Amino acid sequence: MVTLSRRIGANLHKFMALPAVILFGVFFVYPLLRGIGLSLTDWNGISAPRFIGLRNFVDFFRDDRALNDVKNTVLFALGSAPLLNIFGLLYALLLDRNFRGKSLARTIVYLPAIISPLIMGYIWYFILQPERGFLHKVLESLNVSFLGDNWLASGNTALAVLVLVNVWQYVGMTMVIYLAGLQSIPVEMFEASKIDGAGYFVTLRYVTLPLLAPAIKINVVTNIIGSLSVFEVIMALTEGGPGYSTESLSIYIMRMCYGNFTGYSTAVAIILFFIILLPVVTYLRLAKSREVEI
Amino acid sequence: MFKRILSLGTVLVLLLGVSVAQGAEKKVAIKFFTGKVETVEWMNDLIKKFHAENPGIVVEQEYQKDASNVIKVKFASGDIPDITTVWDQGFADQGKYLDLSKETRWWSRVQPSIRELCTDLRSGKQFRIATNMTMAGIFYNKKIFSELGLKEATTWEEFKNNLKKIKQKRPDVVPMFVGGKDSWMLGHLIEFMAHGAVKQKYGTMGSRKAFLNNDAEKLAFDASGGPMETFAKRILELKEEGLFNNDFLTATYDNQLEAFATGKAAVISQGMWALSGILEKNKAIKDNIGFAPYPPIMDGTKPVILSAEDSAYLIPAESKHKEEAKKFLDFLFRPENLKAYSEFLKAPSAFTDVNADWGPLKDEVAKALKKGVNIGFTTEAPPGFSGDDAGRMVQELYTGRYKTPAEFAKAYKAAWDRAWNAARR
Repeated sequence: MVTLSRRIGANLHKFMALPAVILFGVFFVYPLLRGIGLSLTDWNGISAPRFIGLRNFVDFFRDDRALNDVKNTVLFALGSAPLLNIFGLLYALLLDRNFRGKSLARTIVYLPAIISPLIMGYIWYFILQPERGFLHKVLESLNVSFLGDNWLASGNTALAVLVLVNVWQYVGMTMVIYLAGLQSIPVEMFEASKIDGAGYFVTLRYVTLPLLAPAIKINVVTNIIGSLSVFEVIMALTEGGPGYSTESLSIYIMRMCYGNFTGYSTAVAIILFFIILLPVVTYLRLAKSREVEI
Repeated sequence: MFKRILSLGTVLVLLLGVSVAQGAEKKVAIKFFTGKVETVEWMNDLIKKFHAENPGIVVEQEYQKDASNVIKVKFASGDIPDITTVWDQGFADQGKYLDLSKETRWWSRVQPSIRELCTDLRSGKQFRIATNMTMAGIFYNKKIFSELGLKEATTWEEFKNNLKKIKQKRPDVVPMFVGGKDSWMLGHLIEFMAHGAVKQKYGTMGSRKAFLNNDAEKLAFDASGGPMETFAKRILELKEEGLFNNDFLTATYDNQLEAFATGKAAVISQGMWALSGILEKNKAIKDNIGFAPYPPIMDGTKPVILSAEDSAYLIPAESKHKEEAKKFLDFLFRPENLKAYSEFLKAPSAFTDVNADWGPLKDEVAKALKKGVNIGFTTEAPPGFSGDDAGRMVQELYTGRYKTPAEFAKAYKAAWDRAWNAARR
């Protein structure tokens, strides 16, 4: 009897983990395996799926629209992820200081992050819309309305606008993580640096940034993942247009899935998974070796 | 003793509660899935009246903007609606809709031409029943036309010259306003102007068969001088002449209605569904709205006008509450309800026993229907190539993605074929 209760006691943690394991299995492992299975079929969402091997993956690399979407997605991430980190860090450094209205300033920067990205996209659409948007009216009153025209009508400028809107919305989130990182650095470190005669930038370079490494890591990884899987802001502002010039891979997956190419869309989702995994793993490895150096 | 009585009382109350709840659960809930945003509120009011007459049935209306796509997820996940407004040829082929052909109490009241349009070509059955008819064509501002001495165009040249004259004489007015951000409207241009050429050449049934079977010879999508190449040429012509609004690619449906209602646009391509929106923005324009067929884009063809079924209802074959669904449709199809619906929607009824005063364009439409070849929607288009997809290709055309109209035509055929082949798996 004692042995049994000891056994239960020793294995209790496994039982406690069981619900989480079941949930993980049902909502992550099963869909993942099912998705991999479907990616090897020609399922159109209606008829029974038929096994076609790796044809979907081959088709992806032959599809101009898909390759264009990869380019859009990567360009968006290349613009968005670094800007989010740079501005997030700058805001954090600025708002970590003591001044009147600090809390209000932090709230203002963070506020867009709690608004739905879809709503944010629509708000920006009404600001940026050529001919009748708020910005157009302002520029018109200054007699420079030509500056505000057609930003959303060309693929390249529309993509740049999308990056800026995304950065504006999520910079508060990045800032909060950097602020938490800054506040966890012991004050003694800054005092010691000051005693040693280091100025602001030297302290930033040799004390603040190295000790912010965990926050940088979190922000870089989450921003890469978020930027490469971008969906809502594009749907709200341009719907991937004009044409498909700002379509991201996530939107492509949705459209293919709904458009009777369900098996193919699952294959593209797997490809997107690897597109996200590659920079994340590379960065984590680099960060790890850097942490060892520090 | 008191505790025992209290316990017994509690148990009895709980049992009573459970039995009452079970009684309440006996109500049958039917799911009505719609993609028609303009009718949601009207339908909610009708549902309230239905509930009052049928306390045992609860109708739950669900609207989705992207209904034609969302329904695919619903079918795939087993969340089957009991009534829907979404038709998809692929689902019909898979037997996903209930055959309504034998519902004579309904069909005996429906105009034969509408019944024909509701007939699935592959099976010869009617899976959907339309309550209304709709028309689409060219809406124009009669006051501007009369000021400039313009007449409704019957050829492409006349149409272009009208727009050019508006541009020249009325620089404050956009000759033709297109809300190109909402790609379905650009898809409609293809649907009515380019596909319209095929539809008038082969007639309603002939063209429906050609679309259904992807008859490359008849559709001639990639043919030199064919409907797609000519359509692309026509759009680029108007663009080069500066006859569209500057924000062609970023203006919305709402912007288009606003521009037309306020007299800032002289011509728009629209259907009757837009009428209530236009009048909502400016009631005073009521007497200035002219309605004409689309000009022919190809030489030797005639103007075309959409005259098709509208507000079609279907019952999925896997619905668990087919009888209750039919009961709701019986209620909806009552003449007084359909009259109110037509007058609200500003679209004529497809039911012969409904005499609705459906809108200020009633006489204009009657005249226009006689002037142009009447065509229907391309309901046999492959499900993976929606009007939105076609519209996005027009956006690409406008941005210069295709070097020549012929390249656009080739790309259109490739996209169509790909979707058609996927649907035939």
